[in-house]
Amino acid sequence: MISLAGRDILHGWGKFVLTGVGLGLLIGVTLSMAGVYRGMVDDAQALLDNSRADLWVVQKDTLGPYAEPSSLTEDSERPIQAMRGVAQAAGVTYLTMQIAHGDKDVRVMVVGADMGEPGLPGQPTHLISGRQIVRGHYEAVADVKTGFAIGDRVRVRRNSYTVVGLTSRMVSSGGDPMLFLSLKDAQAAQFQRDSDAIVRQRARTATNPQLNPPGNPAVAQAVNAVQAGNANVNAILVTITPDANPDDVAAAIRRWQRLTVYTRAEMEEILVQKLIANSARQIAMFLVILSIVSAAIVAFIIYTMTIGKIREIAVLKLIGTRNRTISWMILQQALGLGLIGFIVGKIAASLWAPFFPKYVLLLPSDSILGFVAVMLICTLASFLAIQAAIKVDPAEAIGG
Amino acid sequence: MAEGIILENVVKTYGSGETAVHALRGVDMAVAKGEVVGLIGPSGSGKSTLLKCLGAVIEPTSGKMTIGDQCIYDNGWKVRDLRALRRDMIGFIFQAPYLIPFLDVTDNVALLPMLAGKPNAEARKMARDLLDALDVGHRAAAMPSQLSGGEQQRVAIARALINRPPVILADEPTAPLDGQRALAVVGLLDDMARQFDTAIIIVTHDEKIIPTFKRLYKIRDGRTVQELQG
Repeated sequence: MISLAGRDILHGWGKFVLTGVGLGLLIGVTLSMAGVYRGMVDDAQALLDNSRADLWVVQKDTLGPYAEPSSLTEDSERPIQAMRGVAQAAGVTYLTMQIAHGDKDVRVMVVGADMGEPGLPGQPTHLISGRQIVRGHYEAVADVKTGFAIGDRVRVRRNSYTVVGLTSRMVSSGGDPMLFLSLKDAQAAQFQRDSDAIVRQRARTATNPQLNPPGNPAVAQAVNAVQAGNANVNAILVTITPDANPDDVAAAIRRWQRLTVYTRAEMEEILVQKLIANSARQIAMFLVILSIVSAAIVAFIIYTMTIGKIREIAVLKLIGTRNRTISWMILQQALGLGLIGFIVGKIAASLWAPFFPKYVLLLPSDSILGFVAVMLICTLASFLAIQAAIKVDPAEAIGG
Repeated sequence: MAEGIILENVVKTYGSGETAVHALRGVDMAVAKGEVVGLIGPSGSGKSTLLKCLGAVIEPTSGKMTIGDQCIYDNGWKVRDLRALRRDMIGFIFQAPYLIPFLDVTDNVALLPMLAGKPNAEARKMARDLLDALDVGHRAAAMPSQLSGGEQQRVAIARALINRPPVILADEPTAPLDGQRALAVVGLLDDMARQFDTAIIIVTHDEKIIPTFKRLYKIRDGRTVQELQG
């Protein structure tokens, strides 16, 4: 038996292909939306992977350092370092800000990492050119997405830094590229106040007799020195020894240091379930709407194509064609339209993904799922047309 | 001569009670194998209803219908699969050819044997042979839109004949054709009826072809009146 659907498609292939391309662009948008969500999750996981930490120690009762502000003193690191099961501990600061790059602004996450010894958690990984920060001050490592090149000068707040290395895929959970500074430089950038604020603070200290007792100026000087200090970090990243259990080490830190500690699994949950949960729901809504729109379009197209062939269908039925042969013809056309649409959509999504400002990750598993969904939608959408075809009375082929 | 179609007291009533419409009030008709008869009548006289009943598209209210040796209706369908009955025992020719626009001429004709389960190659050979016999073999690869009206009607005739049905029902097959072509089509149907031993009923209004029928049935108010012609 010949393929009636195939012949019909070949007969009007131009119209069919154009319709498929239109549908494909819609499917491309749908795949891209899924890719945006996957990109957000991947950014979050890249952030955790690249930090190379097993545990995140943060300010007590906060979801820091990524989902909530967190601040703890730098010297909390030393007692943690001494605990059983801890291999390394290093303070780290995170500050998302706009920095100037030529005539434009670039949104970056400034990361202050302890560069005291190589391989500490929080230091930049995936270095693709240049070197790590080796000087105590005024050197930076930037992700290529910032657009900076080695040797460029970057101004962060009051100081300028020379880019000495470039990384790839070092991004925040929001997809902003990272700019690494030494911990001291980053603390200064994050916590140091401007000169006017310092002058006003000193004036307030001078007028307070408890902080500036008459005849003892050393007290006021000591207070001013403390106020100007930048000894805070946003988190302490901890790696554990191979034989240690992360939950046990985390429990010990919580108990003895009275700080909040997250394991990798808990931090992943915070990032994916809490930080990007709203965005994920937003995207899920878009996916649902786009799927409904796609289904409505396929249903409308297939229905219109079927209604345009009512007389032929009546003749086919009159001369003895089974309902299931006609239904199969319509279903094949719907599936054909879906196949063309999916191929066009996949190609389109792959072509335009690199031009999105944020990372769009098109996973093969999502493509397979998308293909199955498209075929399912096309099958459901063809039911309306099949219903119409089944209702056609063969008597319509005979006049009267 | 053996009978191809026999209708006995066929009645078709639409609706019931006071609003009932009596489309056929007891039609009797007999067409022999190899014979072509005309069926004429004014609009609303019941011609199309008769064709639909005979074509197993609508069910008569009562009566008896026999095609060849098989009784297909006797106050109820005697055949379970009406679709197969239409495919294997009845050929249809319409006012317009109604060829399937996305199939070429050969496949338009070969579709019926294919639907009946014949292999594609065999069905296409049957179609080409029949198209040759109807003088449209040279257009076998063309699409319906590339044919003239006369050629399209010949292809429609080939489609009606391809399964060698004992009966062909033709609903105003010459309506879109000019006089000469209309006569040619009737002549062709006459030849085919004899060649394939098929009983053909042609419903027509066409004054040009009416004199060509050896036998003519007139239908009026749902009843048939046979008129013999010389």
